[in-house]
Amino acid sequence: MTTTVTPAARPATGHTPGSRPRRAVRLSRAVLGRQPIGLLFGAPYALFVAVLFAYPLGLAVWMSFRRYYFTAPGVEVARPFVGLDNYRAVLTDPAVRRSFVNIGLFLVINVPLTVVLALLLATALNAAIPFRSFFRVSYYVPYVTASVAMVGVWLSLFGSGGLVNRLLGSLAPDPSWLINAHWAMPSIALFVTWKQLGFFILLYLAALQNVHKELYEAAEMDGANRWQSFRAVTVPGVRPATTLVTILAIITGANLFTEPYLLTGGGGPNGASASPVLIMYQRGIEQNHPDVASAIGVILVLGVLVVAAVQRLVERD
Amino acid sequence: MTTDDGRAAAREPHPAARWLRLAPLVAGAVLFLFPFYYMVSGSLQTRQDTSLNGVLPHPGNLTLHNYREIGTALNLGRTLVNSGIFTGGVLLATVVFGVLAGYALAQLRFRGRGVLFATMLLLQTIPFQLLIVPLYVLIVRSYGLGDSYLGMIAPFAINSTAVFVFRQYFLQIPAELFDAARIDGASEFRILRSVAIPLVRPALLTAMLLTFIGPWNEFLWPFLVTKQEQMQPLAVALASYISTVAAAATNPIGAILAGACVLAAPAVALFVAFQRHFVSTDLGSGVKG
Amino acid sequence: MSNAADTPSFVSSSRTRRRAVVAGTVCLVLGTAACGGSGSAGADATAQSHGAISIWYSNNAQEVTWGKQVVAAWNAAHPTEKVSAQEIPSGKSSEEVIGAAITAGTEPCLIYNTSPASVPTFQQQGGLVPLDTFSDGAAYIEARAGTADSQFVSPDGNYYQMPWKSNPVMIFYNKKVFKSAGISTTAPPLGSYAEFLATAKKIVSSGAAKYAIYPAPSSEFYQSWYDFYPLYAAESDGKQLVVDGKSTFDSDAGRAVAAFWSQLYAENLAGKESYNGDSFADGTAAMAIVGPWAISTYEGKVDWGVVPVPTSAGGGGDTVPTFSDAKNIGMYVSCKNTGTAWDFLKYSTSVAQDGKLLELTGQMPMRKGIETQYAAYFTAHKDYVTFAAEAAHVVEVPNVPNSIEVWQAFRDAWSSSVVFGKTDPATSLTGAATKIDQLVAQ
Repeated sequence: MTTTVTPAARPATGHTPGSRPRRAVRLSRAVLGRQPIGLLFGAPYALFVAVLFAYPLGLAVWMSFRRYYFTAPGVEVARPFVGLDNYRAVLTDPAVRRSFVNIGLFLVINVPLTVVLALLLATALNAAIPFRSFFRVSYYVPYVTASVAMVGVWLSLFGSGGLVNRLLGSLAPDPSWLINAHWAMPSIALFVTWKQLGFFILLYLAALQNVHKELYEAAEMDGANRWQSFRAVTVPGVRPATTLVTILAIITGANLFTEPYLLTGGGGPNGASASPVLIMYQRGIEQNHPDVASAIGVILVLGVLVVAAVQRLVERD
Repeated sequence: MTTDDGRAAAREPHPAARWLRLAPLVAGAVLFLFPFYYMVSGSLQTRQDTSLNGVLPHPGNLTLHNYREIGTALNLGRTLVNSGIFTGGVLLATVVFGVLAGYALAQLRFRGRGVLFATMLLLQTIPFQLLIVPLYVLIVRSYGLGDSYLGMIAPFAINSTAVFVFRQYFLQIPAELFDAARIDGASEFRILRSVAIPLVRPALLTAMLLTFIGPWNEFLWPFLVTKQEQMQPLAVALASYISTVAAAATNPIGAILAGACVLAAPAVALFVAFQRHFVSTDLGSGVKG
Repeated sequence: MSNAADTPSFVSSSRTRRRAVVAGTVCLVLGTAACGGSGSAGADATAQSHGAISIWYSNNAQEVTWGKQVVAAWNAAHPTEKVSAQEIPSGKSSEEVIGAAITAGTEPCLIYNTSPASVPTFQQQGGLVPLDTFSDGAAYIEARAGTADSQFVSPDGNYYQMPWKSNPVMIFYNKKVFKSAGISTTAPPLGSYAEFLATAKKIVSSGAAKYAIYPAPSSEFYQSWYDFYPLYAAESDGKQLVVDGKSTFDSDAGRAVAAFWSQLYAENLAGKESYNGDSFADGTAAMAIVGPWAISTYEGKVDWGVVPVPTSAGGGGDTVPTFSDAKNIGMYVSCKNTGTAWDFLKYSTSVAQDGKLLELTGQMPMRKGIETQYAAYFTAHKDYVTFAAEAAHVVEVPNVPNSIEVWQAFRDAWSSSVVFGKTDPATSLTGAATKIDQLVAQ
């Protein structure tokens, strides 16, 4: 920890003064970029992706334009090009459309709630409070516990005769949470927020360590109260982490599978909590129509990328 | 820690208000811990009790039977070693190669950076269910890694989320810090080792904890890849224990919850242990931005 | 990913007929027999080769015990043809595991947990060896099982599965609950729909149990096997869901069953939520629809009685058809030593081993005349006699293309109409029938 640099001493540097511009260097820069060592640093990861994911990914996209099913090795099957047929089939399937609407609802509830709660809780857990370790652990615990068990507990808590309904008495929804067409998806969204929040709190906690304390002190000197300095210092200070949290929340939300699979018995009631990945799993793995499943997957990925891009644009403004 | 406390103490009006401010945090913690508590107490019940009364432990309904059953049915030592190798391999690869990639994506300008970043983002958006069969065929048939630790580790080896996490934290460090080191003539690798990594140590720990959970709780992939009982990690052994024993157990839910507790215990312990390092980071004094 | 070199030659040659599958008339490996004959010398060699093989069996404790002893007995007698065995998960993930293994060519020779509903899919994948390629194949299957197995012949006329064991599902009832609701525990009125409904109301209104019956209300494709299908088999006098490429359930029988269940759900006599655990074992539900495998899990928990599934008119007795819930044995194409595999398959389904299976698991081997064959067992285990009688009247899932999709389509219609009452059951059945007819015709 000897690198103590004060901002005043640092001029805005766009170039490195010590380097001598030579032709070879310039050429390598033109071809490989300003810091070609980055290629070396990124190479293992790039190799990992190429060796393990290029083929399955390419195959998934390829088969979404074909009639395809998995076969035993050596079995030759015609895999005719069918154009956009799989996409058309998927987009006209009411179950699939419903699942995309469901996941939209899920994201609208889950993502803002996650971002706001995670940042507030992380800020609180970063301050000097008694039993800080205990608090941090308690928020982290649902995240580490296997879904099967947490789902089991939630079923007994949120079932019609469960603890929550007993406490609510006549205020309990009828039919109960998980079999109520209006409540099933919000219930899942809350469950996932609850289960994943520890993960996002951790991300924010790490980011908060890099927010400079001097900024808080400066804000305090300007007479800012806690809330004001949170707005003026913390929020801008952890912006890269907010981008991260938002994008990851969108991505994990869009890939929702375990909860509708286990908590609402396969996307019930009546498809009200079915997610695109659940339908993908039914079509692709259970029914051996990976071509149709891939089409759902491609649409889902494109959708997520669009949402993430829009989110970044909004954030930049 | 010291700077934290100093700052907080300077502001704190008096203890009562401080405790009051803690109230929402306590309420939240109860909300988060209760289901976990419910799980632990459920795993200790002789018979399942879903009534309001069942919330509090009853001496007459307490038993360690569910745990004893697991101990006799599974080779806990062996499965723990397998889980350790699987998870450890993933952690090692993610920390070494993920940090390199994350740093390059955040702070270095090189050709292909945009493509690499886009690929990383893309990879995370893809549901695993879409790739699992082709991935299985690739690893088992093309690479011949069935029934091996390497085959288990391979698809998880470098956690893309962790790469993303590293990138974002390296982005948070002012670029001027690195430029200063570059002026001093330090190589990029040195800058990474002695400037960047110390600065993002909390992020490193965070990413490790986050990466840990994936392989630790993963069931389907190791199950597919390893058919030998000798190779099975704890999550797989527990899952099959749950599906076989639960049906016949006197308290099926108790058996399931006990299994989940056994699986969660090491993860929670690890977090508690790392938590100390995580708190006592001296970064506050390190970066006088 | 094609790696033809590693594959038994008869597999690749049989695929020349593949287009037929796509067209819809599944003549898939009809080719195999033909192709085996049409010159591929390797086929016979493969069919006859002997040596070590591997098998998978289900992972429930009873079947594991059975599996271990049969493998040990075989290995002791056949030192040069060792069998190695592993457990696979029963239930949700086993089809995934088998499907992925077929695609990668890593599946074992024999799987003693092959669900008949998955056979069309595995067959489409080119993953199954037709057992009638063995010279005594069809004869052995038919001699063991008698006539019941016509339901296991695939549309192309071949056997891709060895009918192995059934679990005829019946109505289990909790005697303690019935007693406290004031219902007879020896001859409970459950034969007709009217009687069943009256009994169910009595149970719930008396508070003896929260629900009368509680089949899983979730949307997995196979859940209809434990609510609709057994009652439909009984009501329609043994019709399968699909017969000759046409769905059969958009009929009076189908509508009667749907109306019956609708009423149970509408009056909250049956639970609509996923249940955490075994509702019958813990007394939440007074009745359950299960097969004899469950008897061992109820031991010491429930004092139970058993009756056949109800019909609208009632009075069917022990010969009312029901769903078989069969699990079969499949031989898979990556098997190198099919000769040994076939020998082991016969060994493990011999009179002696079937007896062991019955003794250790309580499940019914699909062998004709089990009541007389294993008379001693049934005298000692009176509980199982009813199931043995039923075993002769069981209905299988139809062996049709897109079988799992068919069941999923049915389940989706069922859960929206019957379970959750969002749509009219009769209309839903008609809609499902149209969809299923299309799926089967593909």
